[in-house]
Amino acid sequence: MSEWPHWLPLLAVLPLLGGVLTPLLFRRRPVIPCFWAVAVALVTAAVAVMLLLRLIDSGDFSYAVGGWLPQYGIELRFDQIGAFALPASLLVMLALVFSRHYVARTVDPEKISYYYALVLINLGGLNGFLVTGDLFNLFVFMEIFSVSAYALVAMARQPIAALAALKYLLLGALSSLLVLFSVGVVFAMTGTLNIEDAAVLLEGSSSMPAGLALAGLATGFAVKAALFPVHFWLPDAHAAAPAPVSAILSALVVKAGVAGLLRTLELFGGGESLYLQPLLSLMLWLGALGTLGGALMALVQRDIKLMLAYSTIANIGYIFIGLGLATTSAVGGAMVHAVNHAVMKSALFLAAGAMIHQTGLRNIDDLRGLGRRMPATAFGMAFTLVALSGVPPMAGFVGKWQIALGALEAGQPLPVAVLVLAGLVVLAFGVRMINALYFRPPARVSTVSSVEAPVSMWLPVLILAVASLALGLAGSSMLEFVAPAVQAIYGTPP
Amino acid sequence: MPELVDIRPLLAVLASLLCAGAVFTVRQSARWRAFWSLAAAGIKFALVWSMLPGALAGRVYVYQFGELLPGVAFGFRVDALGLFFALVSSTLWIVTTVYALAYMRGSHSLPRFFGFFALCISTTVGIAFAENLLTLFVFYELLTVCTYPLIMHNEDLAARRAGRKYLIYTLSGGGLILAGMIVLYFTTGTLSLAETGILEEAIGRSWLLAIFLLLIAGFGVKAALMPLHAWLPAAMVAPTPVSALLHAVAVVKAGVFGILRTIYNVFGIDLLRDLGYADWLAVLAGTVIVIASVNALRQKHIKARLAWSTISQLSYIVLAAALLTPLAALAAIIHIANQAFSKITMFFVAGAIERGTGKKRVDELAGVGRQMPWTMAAFTVASLSFMGVPLFAGFVTKWYLSLGALQAGEGIYVGVMVISGLLNASYWLPMIYLAFFRPPQTHGQDASPKPARVSPMMVVPILICAAYVILLGAGASAPAMPFSLAEAAVRFAFELKVPLE
Repeated sequence: MSEWPHWLPLLAVLPLLGGVLTPLLFRRRPVIPCFWAVAVALVTAAVAVMLLLRLIDSGDFSYAVGGWLPQYGIELRFDQIGAFALPASLLVMLALVFSRHYVARTVDPEKISYYYALVLINLGGLNGFLVTGDLFNLFVFMEIFSVSAYALVAMARQPIAALAALKYLLLGALSSLLVLFSVGVVFAMTGTLNIEDAAVLLEGSSSMPAGLALAGLATGFAVKAALFPVHFWLPDAHAAAPAPVSAILSALVVKAGVAGLLRTLELFGGGESLYLQPLLSLMLWLGALGTLGGALMALVQRDIKLMLAYSTIANIGYIFIGLGLATTSAVGGAMVHAVNHAVMKSALFLAAGAMIHQTGLRNIDDLRGLGRRMPATAFGMAFTLVALSGVPPMAGFVGKWQIALGALEAGQPLPVAVLVLAGLVVLAFGVRMINALYFRPPARVSTVSSVEAPVSMWLPVLILAVASLALGLAGSSMLEFVAPAVQAIYGTPP
Repeated sequence: MPELVDIRPLLAVLASLLCAGAVFTVRQSARWRAFWSLAAAGIKFALVWSMLPGALAGRVYVYQFGELLPGVAFGFRVDALGLFFALVSSTLWIVTTVYALAYMRGSHSLPRFFGFFALCISTTVGIAFAENLLTLFVFYELLTVCTYPLIMHNEDLAARRAGRKYLIYTLSGGGLILAGMIVLYFTTGTLSLAETGILEEAIGRSWLLAIFLLLIAGFGVKAALMPLHAWLPAAMVAPTPVSALLHAVAVVKAGVFGILRTIYNVFGIDLLRDLGYADWLAVLAGTVIVIASVNALRQKHIKARLAWSTISQLSYIVLAAALLTPLAALAAIIHIANQAFSKITMFFVAGAIERGTGKKRVDELAGVGRQMPWTMAAFTVASLSFMGVPLFAGFVTKWYLSLGALQAGEGIYVGVMVISGLLNASYWLPMIYLAFFRPPQTHGQDASPKPARVSPMMVVPILICAAYVILLGAGASAPAMPFSLAEAAVRFAFELKVPLE
């Protein structure tokens, strides 16, 4: 069954269509859109499973939209990077389950169907972005997931949300502009929009326009990925958004920037190309700075969601260190960490959302004593915080180990120190949170009287917490899985 | 050495893990909590001891899972050294559980306490049976995580301070180990603990020095090797069974065990002899023995004095290991047991005195010997052991350590042993004297205080441990005692074919 060729377009079409239909079908009813959206996300995940099976079975494959062959027509391609669509669809599904009770209080009732529509459109944009083999569609899908993300951030009822969304929008528009401009330059130089085709035609070209295109694409995607120092839109946007949206943004949308950057590397000849070495080493150092800076900033935050948002910047730093090191272990570790971080961070954002939903408080010090009152949510959060800090054998460890090993292979011991140090800082704020939850007496009346969140909220948190252990145990097979992609983009290891 | 696939190492780890799960689920039922804790302790005890005859016959039990990371499996391997450590911890878990059930009665958050208590032992046995350094590290870090709620049990300011200090120290140590492990894997491509040294001279002095420093400093934190010891006296605020667990069974021994593994299995005796790094470690350990003893002398609180004594005693093990001679290695391994039983006796006594009379300070001990004669007798046995009086456990260590020092041509460490024995005498004997030979302070109340009422569930574990101290001292070389297991471990590390003596 997994051989049926038309699964691939469905990956993007299903959620997009499902999203557009949501407000049309269910505008008057606030409850049904949730079930509808969860069902659509679930079917999308099933499609992703089909594609994944075929990928494992027979390697990369492509799909010519409308039967027009690549180079001329639009090509969709499913490779190991595209396989990120599966965790993406599953995470979106869990976030949608979580949303059922959450949005009732955070979003205006008449907007609820739009909320679900936007989340599904966001997923469709992400999936399309991951599987497109065509530069222009890369831009189009990027706009789809970005614009829906701006709107979702603005949907929270707090006054700061609109401002954060505007900041996000301005930076995002700038990055889209850079990407569009670069795509234009590449098209002007090569006359093709197909990534593989353009890569062949661009080979060895070190002309000014090529450099300009490279710089534009790299900067544009770095902004989307919130790489230090173009990260400053992220904390406010992720902290202000409704919790399930924060989870999707932190887990998936910033990772799309990483995927875009990998496509860029592919376009310009891969990690072996001498031409790309300055970019790679820049990524390494910015990643290292982002890791340390993000972790330290997380440590001093008082707002729980801001803390998590800064931790995302630190983890993006990890991933960029790995990509910049350009050795097989490091790049593989970075790709696996992108998935693992997605799972862990969405668990944390959802747990934080459940706590805020139940108590109305978002300051870490105000959440004291919730460990007894919200046992499932608090356990999920504490467990995932330990996993995030890279305590073996949990999910955070795999990436850390592989990237550090890759650093030694590349003859650069310094990133090892950065990773170990950042791991300790991450543990430090994790412990602060755990202390507040379990070992301190309540500071606020509303925490004393609060009760456990509804099942639809704590169950996704626990599922993700368990996944953050399981993914750590599966580290070896995941690394094996991404190895062909590393090979394809970075060439044979040095 | 024949390797047999056997599931018992896994079961031994799982026993207390399942116990933790059960304790977390039964929540408020004290009876079921006690049942599960004791049942798991008993099962684990039986499992671990059932591997002793095979190990003495030279068999090695292995159990492997899939790969945790490419090239590094997750697996258990029961060799003589690991089994020795597991025997000590699983034996002590039973007595500590009995004691803790009585000591903690009426305290808050008991499911959490006993659950994490079991998890700690689970991870300790995991450390003992780890087949490679990564598996060891997994359990080592989990041990840190699992002891944290125990140290924080009282949930007050002092507990939070101690807990924070503990975490900062041990997690930084963990970071060092991680870095050392990555360098080790990068240079050798393996993390196996099954060989007598996986490193070679050829990989370069600077890498070797980096690995040595990172691993020894990393494990040295939990081994409370000065100057990395400050967390240990601070952690005294925890309930007494936790102190016992930390100072005798799990945490500090995990650190020491890591150092032994680094010396015997990662570097190997021959390479370390050539490199000469161990000499510096021996000098450091010798200094720590004396300084920590002097500090113990100055402590006014019973538990603080015990803590400083622990720091000093742990350095015996490090010193003995760093001497790199067979007899000293024997001393290092058997001191894991000797120190554990002697020190746990003392902690149990300190806890019993606190519960029975409310006294926590050394100068309040006057007359306690009359109120609690059995308990104080056990304390006397343990302190005689630390002083190195023959027929008690500590003497065996001192004897072999001194012989080992002479073997290495480092006679000065015999002097350290003598000084340490004198210092030990000078801080334990006054306590015994106060307890037995001074009349109790009366404060104008009735002259003869009633005998303190302490649950027999606290007194019996104390007596069992004290009996063990005598057994380890007087009957050390009896057949089927762990002593012969230690000998086997030494023979393996030094690749000796003949018995030691």
